[in-house]
Amino acid sequence: MKRLTKTFFTFLIALVPMMAMAQIDGEFIKPRTGKFLLKNATVVTITKGVLTNTSVLVADGMIMEIGASIAANGAEEIDCTGLFIYPGMIDSGTQLGLAEVSSVAETVDFSEIGNFTPNMQALTAVNPNSEAIPVTRVSGVTTVLTVPSGGLFPGTAALINLNGYTPDQMYAGFKAVVMTFPNSGRRGRYDRRSDDDIKKANEKSLKDANEIWENAIAYNSMKKTGAALEFYPEMDQLAKVISKELPLLVQVDAASDIQNALKWLEEKDVNVILSGVAEGWRVADEIAKSGYPVITGPVQELPTRESDRYDTPYTNAGKMAKAGVKVAIRTDEIENVRNLPFHAAYAAAYGLGKEEAWKAVTINPAEIFGVADKYGSVEKGKVANLIVATGDPFETRAQVMHVFIDGYRIPLSNRHIRFYQEFLERSPGLESK
Amino acid sequence: MKKINYFLAALLGLSFSFASAQTPKGSVLIKNATVLTVTKGTLQNTDVLVQDGIIKKVGTNLSAPSGVETVDATGKYLMPGIIDAHSHVGLDVVNEATSPITSEVQMKDVVNPTEIGIYRALAGGVTISHAMHGSANVIGGQNATLKHRWGTKNPNDIIMMDAPRTIKFALGENPTRVHGRGNGIQPRSRMGVEAVIRNGFNEAIQYQKAWADYDSASAQKGNKATSPRYNERLQTLADILDGKIIIHCHSYRADEIYMLINVARDFNITKLVFQHTNEGFKVAPEIAKYTMGASVFADWWAYKFEVYYSTAFNAAILNANGAITSINSDSAELIRHLYHEAAKTQRYGGMTDDESLAMITINPARQLGISELVGSIEEGKQGDLVIFDSHPLSVYTVPQMTFVDGIKYFDIKEDKNDQRLTVSPTEMVENVYLRQQTERCMQDTEHLFDMAGNLFNQN
Amino acid sequence: MKRTLFRATVICMILGSWMISSSTFAQSDPTGKKRITSSFAITNATVFTEPGKAGVKSTILIQDGVIAGVGNNLSIPKEAKLIAGDSLFVYAGFIDGASNTGITKPKDPERSENFVSSDPPDEIAGITPSRSAVDQFAMDSKVEELRKGGFTVLQIVPEGGMIAGKAAIMVLGNETSSNLIMENTALAVSFKGSRGMYPGTAAGVMAKFRDVYKNTELTKINSDKYASVPGVKRPDIDDTFMGMKDVIAGSTPVMFSASSELEIRRALKLQKELGFNLILTDLENYEGVIPEMKAAGVKVLIKAEVPDDKAIKAQKEDVTEDVKAQYIREKESFDKAIAQAGKLEAAGIQFSFTTVGVKAGDIGKSLKTMIDGGLSETGALAALTTNPAAMMGMSRELGTIEKGKMANLVLTTDTLFKEDTQIKHVIADGYLFDYETKAKKKADEAGKATTGTKVAGNWDYTTESPAGSSGGVITIKKDGNEYSGTITYDDPAGSGKATAPIKDIKLDGSSLSFAFDVNAQGMSIVVEISGTIDGNSMDGTMSIGQFGSFPFEATLIPSITAKL
Repeated sequence: MKRLTKTFFTFLIALVPMMAMAQIDGEFIKPRTGKFLLKNATVVTITKGVLTNTSVLVADGMIMEIGASIAANGAEEIDCTGLFIYPGMIDSGTQLGLAEVSSVAETVDFSEIGNFTPNMQALTAVNPNSEAIPVTRVSGVTTVLTVPSGGLFPGTAALINLNGYTPDQMYAGFKAVVMTFPNSGRRGRYDRRSDDDIKKANEKSLKDANEIWENAIAYNSMKKTGAALEFYPEMDQLAKVISKELPLLVQVDAASDIQNALKWLEEKDVNVILSGVAEGWRVADEIAKSGYPVITGPVQELPTRESDRYDTPYTNAGKMAKAGVKVAIRTDEIENVRNLPFHAAYAAAYGLGKEEAWKAVTINPAEIFGVADKYGSVEKGKVANLIVATGDPFETRAQVMHVFIDGYRIPLSNRHIRFYQEFLERSPGLESK
Repeated sequence: MKKINYFLAALLGLSFSFASAQTPKGSVLIKNATVLTVTKGTLQNTDVLVQDGIIKKVGTNLSAPSGVETVDATGKYLMPGIIDAHSHVGLDVVNEATSPITSEVQMKDVVNPTEIGIYRALAGGVTISHAMHGSANVIGGQNATLKHRWGTKNPNDIIMMDAPRTIKFALGENPTRVHGRGNGIQPRSRMGVEAVIRNGFNEAIQYQKAWADYDSASAQKGNKATSPRYNERLQTLADILDGKIIIHCHSYRADEIYMLINVARDFNITKLVFQHTNEGFKVAPEIAKYTMGASVFADWWAYKFEVYYSTAFNAAILNANGAITSINSDSAELIRHLYHEAAKTQRYGGMTDDESLAMITINPARQLGISELVGSIEEGKQGDLVIFDSHPLSVYTVPQMTFVDGIKYFDIKEDKNDQRLTVSPTEMVENVYLRQQTERCMQDTEHLFDMAGNLFNQN
Repeated sequence: MKRTLFRATVICMILGSWMISSSTFAQSDPTGKKRITSSFAITNATVFTEPGKAGVKSTILIQDGVIAGVGNNLSIPKEAKLIAGDSLFVYAGFIDGASNTGITKPKDPERSENFVSSDPPDEIAGITPSRSAVDQFAMDSKVEELRKGGFTVLQIVPEGGMIAGKAAIMVLGNETSSNLIMENTALAVSFKGSRGMYPGTAAGVMAKFRDVYKNTELTKINSDKYASVPGVKRPDIDDTFMGMKDVIAGSTPVMFSASSELEIRRALKLQKELGFNLILTDLENYEGVIPEMKAAGVKVLIKAEVPDDKAIKAQKEDVTEDVKAQYIREKESFDKAIAQAGKLEAAGIQFSFTTVGVKAGDIGKSLKTMIDGGLSETGALAALTTNPAAMMGMSRELGTIEKGKMANLVLTTDTLFKEDTQIKHVIADGYLFDYETKAKKKADEAGKATTGTKVAGNWDYTTESPAGSSGGVITIKKDGNEYSGTITYDDPAGSGKATAPIKDIKLDGSSLSFAFDVNAQGMSIVVEISGTIDGNSMDGTMSIGQFGSFPFEATLIPSITAKL
């Protein structure tokens, strides 16, 4: 308890030079690239075990060296004694950067008009200056998949690092075309459509999906032969899925829908990633058999059915992992992506286990997105997305002391922290008139 | 203590008393836990004995009287039952959104004790929730403080009868959207919100006077006085002015919080608690001095414009400035892990364990006026207790058992999965709800088609 | 057999044609519809005079709408039309404790210029205790269907808002007479809120009800004072007060619509607070509150309906463990539901039936299911006859087959609750109604389309959302094979109604669907309506964009021009 407060004030004091500097002559702490030596930490590599009393050298945006004693050679030294180094966390499903204030429609950009719009690019609509980005990355989430939503094919999702001033600077090398698989569930308490109406709507959606897919296959074959085709941007984009240039990210949650989706995808030769999968535990064996990886979450969510056990969403990931499914975790959040470690922790505590939970927010998504050569673990040669914390970053007690994204040292400040600094002791304080 | 139908249990002669007019109370001995009393420090390897619903003894080497079951809590943590000061779980109606003032409406009239959300809250250690009117109106209805005695179909069984009256106020975007922008009635701006409140109180004062005049006139012989109209709405506002009701005000912006503090001072109202109050940190000294504190979110922000300039350090700042601070959920989802929400104040502000735990126990108890009865583990208080398998503020903790009035209502090992109290005989396929509307402060206002998408996801 | 009867009647006529037994003058009737006599004798039928008594072979003599005698060796007057009852079984005519059959919902009153939705006038907010069901009632085909099912007396309940008005008791006699037995028999109250105004939800309704009740009491005190003390300020007597006066005095009971346990508890709560006489009606799920209802001594009307067993029948064999567990719970719930009436009987509560919201043709089957579930046949018959008669305070005139009571009878081909029993005759107010018993008669009333479903016309619709009810008028025109139309709805931008054209009109058998656009705050939302048309009514759902779907009901507004 007392140690906790001390740690926190240590963190605050660490901020002071930044605060002080922030007030001198308008100078501002920017993300800085360079050479950094993180000394004498416990390094949780994720893929190669836990290394104690180890240092990590960051340079040119990469993890250059991991070892017991590394010479500084001009690198900025950061003493990490007693601290823990983890890979930056990856949130496999968000709308971060695509909306600023949810209730203000003008700031909401993840949903476009039309049922068939796979060509809508989430990447270009990302606002690199969204206030939520600095709020998120101080928690240790360094990379997110930001995903459009809405119609049957709402758009193309993109993987972004939470540093950079343009979407291209943020882009982390992965895109996927999203499909909202026709669902048979209720949209909420107020969806009072009759069972028949829901069934009819579901059947119609499936019919539409089949039609579009058939056309897309035909379109793709024709395109390959060099046929002169009319401009059809939506088909162009879907053709990339059929030619396996891009994977298909299938959003599906209800158990019967998952089964339908698995059947629907079976004869289709495309790369598939399942997302959402709230009732995956009900059909875990079938999902495992399909070999498709699963992005699941939010973990801190209500059960889908009234008859479900209360902890069903907490245990979902663990049950699927036990059945042999490769699981990544997402928050599906806009402004509270910072809670990813807590979602992962809940999955861990309710069956997934800490080790698997860590993998679910690091190496698993990296592998699923085909970027495991660059991200997902603390290994020499990978991109320097690292966090340094006073303990297990899943624990609320732990403080994240340093964050590196793309080898840039990220200033641990955002509006929330600035408000704390300004208002902890307001001046003037209480002055009665 | 097996959680079974009280009637059956009584038949089996288990040790609790149940009279149809009274709430069921039980006895249990919890042994050898790390007891987090919240108000009196942390006690290692300590026993807690509850008899007839009251904590009789906190100490070591206690033995169970005959008929009292013992729970071995070795290696486990015991804390007071968690209290959620802002919830809408267990209510069939949340918003009577048709008038800016609806103080005559009572949530006690529409309590639904069979809502599954109550059990799920119990599974998260929450024993008491403040079931509130929604935030559609400037002055909403009166709230109900509920004890989560799961398993009954009678609403009276879960209403905490000895809890003081409270009422819901709401400032800012919600009432101005519902009435001004949605319906063409004042208020449409924050100016109007203040006017509605002041007008309401002034009308109440006139109402009180009219009745007082009538009462004294009609006592005299041969008088010609006729009574004024009876108006429960104004009578309730008068009761607020007389200090009989605690105001719980949904609010966000610093200026509107400050406005209500001034209004309260003008009318000599001291029983005022601010709810959500995302910008409360900007007027923390005022909140500390003039009110009964603030009940806030751990980290929700940016879903509406009025919460865009928030900070997750809100609770820490308020607490540091001496305001009674609690953490609430306003969500059927968050209520299940309020202990985790409270733990976030350790990341955002370095709160100590007792400070964080106080925000979900004794502090909300004080804000609901029930701190003499619950909110800490002290002899004489009601037996509302939760056992966790590790420290409640650890992110990996898992609640094991929850007791209300000494009766176990949640047991992770013994409870069956399907906890529904009523099942429809005609449902062909069970409803699967995807991404549910868990935040219900604006429930029942959906007929005002006035915003895109996220009306349901916000409060 | 009819031939013989006819011949017998003619002979009687010739013999007794000089005798003028009725008090009215004899008139010529070129339609031939007028009955020849108001006396009937049902000879040698098995008569069940009251619930619990065994059937006895007797003759029943009816004169001028009254039972003139029951038994054997009765002297039958010459003008009595004979009905051979040898193969018939006779019961007292059934009484519907609360019915909205034949009731047409009154038009919503126009809202004034300065209408304020937070403080609407009582009349618009659904508070209309002065209204009478009699003004909304007409003997239509639905009423005839009820009579065909054996119902001879209805307590008609007005349609409206939270306080809809006063009920009345009607006998289903000849359509030329007024058939009104008694007025102002109960005040119809429900938890229904109003469209887009206060009160909109059940919580608001409860608060408003207390307000109306208490202010009626105060106004009464003030009125009494005004009447006895000179110089007192004149109290404001309005329609609401006039309608509520007898309720607070206790002479008119409140008939509260409460289908679920929670609603029943809420009604009981109000009764305990305010002290009015309470009748609970529309009960569907009530087992858990039987002790409370018994203790409060309230009168009870249960819906003459049981849950349909589609879901139970659809349960499959080859399923997983947890689905099996669901099935068990569902079956349990179903079994409990059909056993409820029996439990009411066992608790000693004398309940009656209401047919509000129930299809007349299903009533017999539902009752049989309740009997399978534990209700005794005596109990069922009592709920149809003696219990409602007692509840209405009319045990002297109704409920059993006794000399001096009103001539309301049901004549069946076999004992009442047998599988194949059919109703051959119904006598109501001494008027005889005959029904075909062999083949199923196809309905062929004038004005009803026999081909296709009637879609064109003006439909008055309502839709229920958690915030209250909403509604308007849909006008559909048929143009060759195409349909077009408009819909009015509550204008979200303010008070009053907006109109929009309807599009995507599809008719598939009796399923109709269409859509329309609502513009509010610069946004456009598509609203979809779909439903099934059954005669003059339509039932379905209204989906509003992503806000969800709500139940939707519409009734075809009768037009005076000839239809299809």
